Amino acid sequence: MSRQGVFHAGMLAAFLSLAGCASGPGGSIYVPAGGSPRAPEPPQTTEDREEPQVWRKSEQPEAREPEQRSNKPSYRDAGDELSPAALSLVREADNLLKRGDAQGAIVRLERAQRIVPRSAEIYFKLSEAYVAGNKLGPAEQFTLKGLSLAGSDARLQRAGWLLLADIRRARGNVAGANQAEERASAL
Amino acid sequence: MSCGLRYNLPMKKNRSSSKPNRKSQSKNSRNGRSSWFWRIFIRVSAIALVLLAGWMVYLDAVVTDRFEGRRFEVPSRVYARPLELYNGAGVSSGALERELTLSGYRKGGGAKPGSYRRNGGHFIISTRGFRFPDGDEPRRKLSLNIYGDRIQDFSVSAGDNASIVRLEPARIGGIYPAHKEDRILVRLDEVPALLPTALMAVEDRKFYDHFGIAPASIGRAMLANIRAGQIVQGGSTLTQQLVKNFFLTRDQTLLRKGNEALMSILLESHYEKDDILETYLNEVYLGQAGTRSINGFGLASQFYFGESLKDLDLHQIALLVGMVKGPSYYNPRRHPDRATQRRNLVISEMEDAGLIDPSKAARARGLALGVSAKPSYSENRYPAYIDLVRRHLARDYKEEDLRSEGLRIFTTLNPAIQYAAEFAVTDTLPRLASGDTGKALEATLVVTAKDTGEVLALVGGKDPQFAGFNRALDANRPIGSLIKPFTYLTALEQPERYTLITPVLDKSFTLEFDDGRRWQPKNYDGKERGEVPLHRALSHSYNLPAVRVGLDVGVAEVRKTLRAFGVVTPISQYPSMLLGSVAMSPITVAQIYQGLATSGFNTPLRTIREVTDAGGKALSRYSLEVDQVADPAAVHLLQYAMQETMQEGTGRSVYYSVPKELTLAGKTGTTDDGRDSWFAGFSGDLLAVAWVGRDDNGPTVLTGATGALPVWSRFMAQVPQHGFSPVVPDGVNYHWVNPEKQALTDEYCDNARLLPFISGSEPTQKVSCSGTFERKIRGWFEGLFQ
Repeated sequence: MSRQGVFHAGMLAAFLSLAGCASGPGGSIYVPAGGSPRAPEPPQTTEDREEPQVWRKSEQPEAREPEQRSNKPSYRDAGDELSPAALSLVREADNLLKRGDAQGAIVRLERAQRIVPRSAEIYFKLSEAYVAGNKLGPAEQFTLKGLSLAGSDARLQRAGWLLLADIRRARGNVAGANQAEERASAL
Repeated sequence: MSCGLRYNLPMKKNRSSSKPNRKSQSKNSRNGRSSWFWRIFIRVSAIALVLLAGWMVYLDAVVTDRFEGRRFEVPSRVYARPLELYNGAGVSSGALERELTLSGYRKGGGAKPGSYRRNGGHFIISTRGFRFPDGDEPRRKLSLNIYGDRIQDFSVSAGDNASIVRLEPARIGGIYPAHKEDRILVRLDEVPALLPTALMAVEDRKFYDHFGIAPASIGRAMLANIRAGQIVQGGSTLTQQLVKNFFLTRDQTLLRKGNEALMSILLESHYEKDDILETYLNEVYLGQAGTRSINGFGLASQFYFGESLKDLDLHQIALLVGMVKGPSYYNPRRHPDRATQRRNLVISEMEDAGLIDPSKAARARGLALGVSAKPSYSENRYPAYIDLVRRHLARDYKEEDLRSEGLRIFTTLNPAIQYAAEFAVTDTLPRLASGDTGKALEATLVVTAKDTGEVLALVGGKDPQFAGFNRALDANRPIGSLIKPFTYLTALEQPERYTLITPVLDKSFTLEFDDGRRWQPKNYDGKERGEVPLHRALSHSYNLPAVRVGLDVGVAEVRKTLRAFGVVTPISQYPSMLLGSVAMSPITVAQIYQGLATSGFNTPLRTIREVTDAGGKALSRYSLEVDQVADPAAVHLLQYAMQETMQEGTGRSVYYSVPKELTLAGKTGTTDDGRDSWFAGFSGDLLAVAWVGRDDNGPTVLTGATGALPVWSRFMAQVPQHGFSPVVPDGVNYHWVNPEKQALTDEYCDNARLLPFISGSEPTQKVSCSGTFERKIRGWFEGLFQ
């Protein structure tokens, strides 16, 4: 019964992943290496050693535009979306899961996680793969991690809380499961 | 009874038989002398035969033991992480080129596997294919552009189509047997057919006909040697050469020659010719790389051409075959002329033997040697990192297996990140201080992938190539203010008592212990500021508020937080721990900051993804693990203050090296008299911990901001990456507040600051806005254009 529930929520997470439905503004900004000076090739040339010491404390201004910066903390409402490369790995993982190869799926998903490490869906998919491998401890942790990245996306939040409820129930944590279910229904 | 009879009988027979002998001895002394001689001769011969038989049995045991059991001790190979190529992958053109060089790729047309062509940011790469633990990555021809340090227009122009492809991982080291022999085992049926035939044409034309030794060849060689008065010719068969390499020393003595012949015959009597030939191909000595010897054609092919043996052309095979005679004398890198001459001789021998037609031979003789400029990898390039890998391996593997079983170890080392980290240390350190203090300065840098816990780079000292004291792992030093985030986190996990704007007192006090001792903490600058909001106390690293908050929540609770985040070493119970009297290694600091960087999820640091056996079968996987140890909401608040550190606080000088778009979070740490200068912080992708100090624990003029931070900033500035921008967790809301007045306010009011609060802990009061209409308009435009 409880395993069925877990499976059910897992499928829900799978649906969400493949739909690639992460929403929200932007994401973190990708910044090309722009430090000045850039690393020469090969490093440690004599010229470089003679460059002015730009970072000694005595040469710093007291503050760098504190007013402008202080009002702009960096945060965002949602994690990363799955890139096409990550999505192709998730699809491979899905196929392996269908064939009952949970370990193979985990390997593909970890590879995808390295590409999009701040995607809630990747962690829900990992959770699903761990459920399939009957390792509910890691599955619960990956669900929690996914939830921490679901941000304001109500669909992802709901999928995560339901998945968590099912995993907790399967682990015998009825109170925790009910709590998670309440969170899901409150969304 | 019967036993006694039987025993006595021969004795009698002996006595009776000896009597006539004595009689005949007295009759005929000549006959007696002759018989005595033969008797001695027969006895000596019998003894010699027994000894020889014993010796043969011994040699036979030696021969079969080596052949039946483990024939070769193959070192474990350690690989860097494979570079993933796909649209959007973050890599600079320079980094991609370095990566290709490190993996032994050659610059050229990009048509042959293992080569690439670069035109500005445009790359054509022909991959060799590689067997990964999770499946084969086939050969492909790839085309891509790099723009803004990102891959674009990625496509596969030949081979299986894919949207993401892994390059072969660079080999970054090995774990060697005591004799330091290195080899890549090859099977006879997978080597180019020309290799064994060429080898036989040059070294042993009758290989398939003789029984281990070729007396005619030995005779010829002996004659030549007698004429020359010294040993000038070998005349050894391949079997003999194998025996010589395999079992014996290199001395040219008669006894050794005898043993060699006997063992060759024994070897041939036990094993098929093909077995012997295959073993020869894997055993033969073909060069030297430092202390490591290059054995067998499989590794020699990689070592001299950067190519797999099966991909070699005729002229390359001929060179390797020619080198068997004297790998150092014919070293193609050192003596290209000699090597070319020898190679061409081999090509002619092959032509004579009818292996190749004359036109092909002539063409091959005209070709350049085709040797790669340097070995496709060098050993001990990353000693500090390999040290950590070995310590991780030691948890699950025996040293002797690592040295001999040919395991393949897939690590998480990112060569581009390691390059930037080494550069940051070696380039920055000499600028930090001059004179004797400058000379005594040491530094370490640990870099991990923020969300995976993979250790990407490790620098153990100012000379990254030095395989000595690994400070990143073994230098346990007081962490100073790096402890403060854990104190404040402990407080922020009680939202009913602490928020980011809770006023904390920056005022000196004296703590008196039961035993009468007194402790009076001070700020670094000696000043006191009265009440300051908590977020500023952390971002400016004021000591007095940190100790007050720590004492308020309890030293025991702060210790509990540190334990949860992964500290396993003893933690002091004295309040001085609140200012970082607790000692940790840089790698431990990286571990505990991982939890802060990932919203309260501990992620065990890993250097190894997988270990496989020589055939590619997975032996161990080290999977990603996460473990929630803190409330993500409280960590989010803390991350805000750590971002503020970089923008307004003790870390703000980072933006002299780093582009201002790169949002970062971090913390400085300094111990008394500048003995330890720390910086720990993270971007969206990376977490790095830098330490600068002296091995003798002497004083320096540095603080966290002037010692470790420059190293850290220098590193961050080299690497294309995402800025830090945490997802707001459930239960956290942002509000515009006036921190001084601890009240909500409007966005464009003076002193307004947008701060995160755990729901329900935000202020309820609101202060009226003193901002002008013009300021509102200005703010609106600022928002529009950012």
